[in-house]
Amino acid sequence: MDLSNRLANWARLKSPWITMFNSGACNACDIEVIDAVTPRFDVERFGILSKGSPRHADILIVTGPVTLKQASRLRRVYEQIPEPKYVIAMGACGAQGGVFKGLYHVVGGVDKVIPVDAYVAGCPPRPDEIIDGVVACLGIMKEDLAHGGKEWRRKAPALIPLAPARRRGVAP
Amino acid sequence: MSLALGIPASTVSSALRPFGPVESARATRHHVLVDPKDLREALGAARRELKLDHFVQLATIDVGDAFELRYILTGSHRALVSVRTRLPRAAPHVASVHDLLPPAGLYERQVHDLFGVVFDGHPGLSRLVLAEDWPEGVHPLRKDFLVEAAARPGAKGGT
Repeated sequence: MDLSNRLANWARLKSPWITMFNSGACNACDIEVIDAVTPRFDVERFGILSKGSPRHADILIVTGPVTLKQASRLRRVYEQIPEPKYVIAMGACGAQGGVFKGLYHVVGGVDKVIPVDAYVAGCPPRPDEIIDGVVACLGIMKEDLAHGGKEWRRKAPALIPLAPARRRGVAP
Repeated sequence: MSLALGIPASTVSSALRPFGPVESARATRHHVLVDPKDLREALGAARRELKLDHFVQLATIDVGDAFELRYILTGSHRALVSVRTRLPRAAPHVASVHDLLPPAGLYERQVHDLFGVVFDGHPGLSRLVLAEDWPEGVHPLRKDFLVEAAARPGAKGGT
């Protein structure tokens, strides 16, 4: 790895830039994210900056279930983020659809449309839990750097500690 | 300083009685059920004679054999007057009021999407809230709509 790559990776871990996308949330999660980036919780002290454009971001925070209308928009926003990119799905809705699951206009959780790296539980999650989710994402970034990319997680699911087959005690 | 709120029931009754039965729960809540063909006249009279200069919303209810539209209006006196009309389910047509109440034009497009009510005379009754690839002629807020019936990927993955 050359010096410029090492420098970029160091900077990304020291100061991840996040952007938020509302894929159909009820606004509770959005308010908690805004709470996290404003002075009371002040994520800037950890170097986490909130950015308006997905083209500037490293981490995408998606709030809410994905609606039929927002699915293609979410996909486009995701594709605009430069690699390496990470996605955090917020709340019960981001994970599975939450209370909106099964409605006529809802596709489901965020992972039906784009790959998700971390889930933050809650309805809505507290701002400190969001910060914890971003920090967990930084941990995944570090592991990815050690493995030379994200591919190790996709090709070898058995390496992920909480793979569904493992958790249920079924032989892979 | 006290502020007189509402309109007396007698005033509402004298203004709207020609169009249908008026009911007044209290000074700030009145409603009248009018025939669909008198709707524009009734809304015009309500605006002129009761100083209802603010359109709150157009609510729609599927009551089985009909769709009930409720045009809810208010003004500086803070009384809410609901002008109601019932359209038969077999042919849900009514005259558009986008020229009398400009904000109603958007509500009419929404009701057209979700209930399939046709507003005659609306200049652009195109899709507003449903997804771009939603099938034509399927109206999700009708009582007989089934999520399973809407053929789309992911529809059956629900509860």
